[in-house]
Amino acid sequence: MLDATQASENVASVRDLKVHFQSKRGVVHAVDGVSFDIQDGETLGLVGETGCGKSVTGRSFLRLLPVPPGILAGGAVSFRPHGPCTACEGAGCEACAKTGRRASGDQPVDLLSISLQDMRRIRGDRIAMIFQDPGKALNPTLTIGAQMSEVFLQHRTAELLDRAGLPPDTAGAVRRFAAQEPRFGDGLILKFPPKRGQRAKLQVALNQMVTEALAETQVPNPAKLMDRFPHELSGGMRQRVMIAQALACNPDLLIADEPTTALDVTVEARILELIRALQQRRKTSVLYISHDLSLVRRICDRVAVMYAGRIVEIGTTEDVFANPRHPYTRGLMAAVPTAGTARGKLAAIRGTVPELVDPPLECRFAGRCPYETATCRQNDPSLQPVSGGHSVACFIDHPTGSQDAPSFDRVTE
Amino acid sequence: MNSAPKPESATSEVLLSISDVQKYYPIREGALQRVAGHVRAVDGVSFDIRRGETVGLVGESGCGKTTLGRVVSGLTDATGGAVHYNLDGTLSQIDHLQDLQARQFRRNCQMVFQDSFASLNPRHLVLDIVGRPLRVYNEASSGDLVERVVELLEQVGLGRQHLYRYPHQFSGGQRQRISIARALALNPEIIVLDEPTSALDVSVQAQILNLLNDLQAERNLAYLFVTHDLSVVRHMADRLVVMYLGKVCEAGETQSIFAAPHHPYTRALMAAKPDLDDDRAGENVKGLDGIVPDPARPPQGCRFHTRCEMATPVCGWEVDDVVRWLEDEPGMFEHLSGVERQSEFNAELAFDSEEAAAKLSMAIRSESVPAAMKSALKRLKLDGHKVDIEFEAVDEVQLTARDGGRLASCVLDPDEVAAKSQ
Ligand SMILES: Nc1ncnc2c1ncn2[C@@H]1O[C@H](COP(=O)(O)OP(=O)(O)O)[C@@H](O)[C@H]1O
Ligand SMILES: Nc1ncnc2c1ncn2[C@@H]1O[C@H](COP(=O)(O)OP(=O)(O)O)[C@@H](O)[C@H]1O
Ligand code: SF4
Ligand SMILES: [Mg+2]
Ligand SMILES: [Mg+2]
Ligand SMILES: [Zn+2]
Repeated sequence: MLDATQASENVASVRDLKVHFQSKRGVVHAVDGVSFDIQDGETLGLVGETGCGKSVTGRSFLRLLPVPPGILAGGAVSFRPHGPCTACEGAGCEACAKTGRRASGDQPVDLLSISLQDMRRIRGDRIAMIFQDPGKALNPTLTIGAQMSEVFLQHRTAELLDRAGLPPDTAGAVRRFAAQEPRFGDGLILKFPPKRGQRAKLQVALNQMVTEALAETQVPNPAKLMDRFPHELSGGMRQRVMIAQALACNPDLLIADEPTTALDVTVEARILELIRALQQRRKTSVLYISHDLSLVRRICDRVAVMYAGRIVEIGTTEDVFANPRHPYTRGLMAAVPTAGTARGKLAAIRGTVPELVDPPLECRFAGRCPYETATCRQNDPSLQPVSGGHSVACFIDHPTGSQDAPSFDRVTE
Repeated sequence: MNSAPKPESATSEVLLSISDVQKYYPIREGALQRVAGHVRAVDGVSFDIRRGETVGLVGESGCGKTTLGRVVSGLTDATGGAVHYNLDGTLSQIDHLQDLQARQFRRNCQMVFQDSFASLNPRHLVLDIVGRPLRVYNEASSGDLVERVVELLEQVGLGRQHLYRYPHQFSGGQRQRISIARALALNPEIIVLDEPTSALDVSVQAQILNLLNDLQAERNLAYLFVTHDLSVVRHMADRLVVMYLGKVCEAGETQSIFAAPHHPYTRALMAAKPDLDDDRAGENVKGLDGIVPDPARPPQGCRFHTRCEMATPVCGWEVDDVVRWLEDEPGMFEHLSGVERQSEFNAELAFDSEEAAAKLSMAIRSESVPAAMKSALKRLKLDGHKVDIEFEAVDEVQLTARDGGRLASCVLDPDEVAAKSQ
């Protein structure tokens, strides 16, 4: 876990992010004014029910949204890529967890406004994403080795040439060919024009790098895995390959969108161990999206709870789980069956996540909240601190001054 | 094959009795679609379901839960064994029932599926979906059909306003309520619930679990609750059946299994997913190595021995374990040119070079294979480019009865299991 006393630079800051979707029924406010920071080296959990806007938030970092119907309606996602650590100048110290690199304040980029070309450079290189369904990230027509190779050809060209003992001036050629058909790296090597001997050397170096990347995710016999196609692997194995691919370039930020949701618990536990170990070793920051509270509690340093396009509570995992301040957070936690819950007495949250078409000016949770009062129906609460680093958007902790402020002591439903 | 013992069912009346049920799916190959083998999806499972109780069925995906649920509810025929239904006091085999009796079974045993999108016809109105069983069984004339459907909808927390809508106009939780209303229409004695809340958010899952519990109390329903979620099954089930690779590895009272699992697999499932309110949540979480073996060639001895961290020399080490080991070892499997089996425990492995054969025989004597596997070795002979391997032959590990009506199939006694997992 992250040492709280050690003030960290943020690797990314989301400010007032708004993503809307045009639909037949009107404009869906899927993400509606979301702000949060991801500290360098931390794992930030993003939890909430289906349809709350978690995936849209995560995808915004890489602009992986269908536009149209999606509309980037406002806000900024500023990203501070790692540079050499200023404290130790790359030698490795406490501040950079011995990696020699940390988020640098020098050149924040706004991921929402940079050119597509710049975005492509960041995607998969500085920021990587893994999904619930590896099918989306893995190409079914390429062997594991071929698709992993592509990453190295694209993003780690210099290191590749160095290993192959080729002159740096061939980098242009390698990258040009890699860029030709970004999804199909298969034939690239064959078309690499310089001399045949060079091609062989390049292939050897490439295989080495791919094997090493796969070995990091503890797959048995990586060399054999390289010749397999995605459909020949088990779900857990495909997930490992996707993680290996995502981490191949040593990204500064990993966005994990429910990567273990489709897996059995025994396999999930292994994958989480793996993500955690890799993250600690490389000091990668992780935005971990999940609907599973016990999982988030287990692996995250901080948690943001999302409801209906808003962050309704954020704080350290310890604070949020020991002292949840939002009725929604409490509702989610109470709904999970535990050893002590009497049968048939689960605390369900009534209703479902509302459709976010032109949401009215009121608390988004009103209608499902057991404590709501007229105040909640007439005002829209904003995210305000309750204590250092713990914030909540609810009138219970932040009354407006009117008399009928809601309270955890008064159930109104 | 000797049939496995069953969990005790003393107290109340047995409603359904599942005896040594097997379900094999043929694997077809080639242009002629020759049968090349069988997926042993369910491989000899026995337990009873009593009136009014909930039996939980848990295990990883692919272990045969859905298949068993379909056999129990008569949707799929068993390859072997039988399901008996308590028909007015006598246990009768369901696939021998005729006409009226078959009808009586079918209306008394209903099923609810995980995927409410697939199981509800998208072109039918809620009225037709929930009303269909009533019409098929002539339970309601067209006059009072609407009122009967409204009654059912109200029981699951929906209402008259939902009658004339299509499934896609509902949320996942509401669709599952519609499925439950349909299952209730003929006032059944038992409902097989196949992962009924796995596609739902916890908040909505809580609504459905509460509903199922209320309905059970009102109607003295029995449930076979199929799920991979241990926290859900602990909450819902009176008794538990834990499956691995088509077989039961542990069964008994839910509370006592959670208090002290006797099978290492049950223990592994529990360790992989700590409770939300478990304060040691971060520390003790452990997953399982390796993948579930092919159900067409289940492992010898105890089927779990390939992934079990407590495995002993008598757990079923066999030739396949050596082959599996070779597959995972860089640069070894490519050199394997043939496996000539005398039995599952004895074979001659041929390699394309003497070097590779020597490497294998060295490796099997070293630390790189599990110690239990090494101890199980009876003979290891290197002969040129061939290696002759023989393990101690063992029988399949059977379920054994323990205190409190518990069954478990592990060669270790419960104290050893508990001690080894500290
Ligand atoms: N491609 C899309 N087209 C239209 N609406 C979308 C699209 N993707 C997401 N949405 C809308 O955004 C909302 C939030 O979706 P999402 O971020 O996927 O939620 P979560 O990941 O929290 O389950 C959804 O309720 C949906 O209405
Ligand atoms: N119709 C079928 N044909 C062939 N194999 C099947 C069929 N249905 C299930 N299987 C196989 O049987 C095994 C058990 O499947 P299933 O009962 O669905 O398991 P679970 O519900 O526990 O996930 C799996 O190996 C699956 O691939
Ligand atoms: S503001 Fe009101 S309605 Fe919203 S969560 Fe707080 S108490 Fe509930
Ligand atoms: Mg999502
Ligand atoms: Mg199933
Ligand atoms: Zn440093």
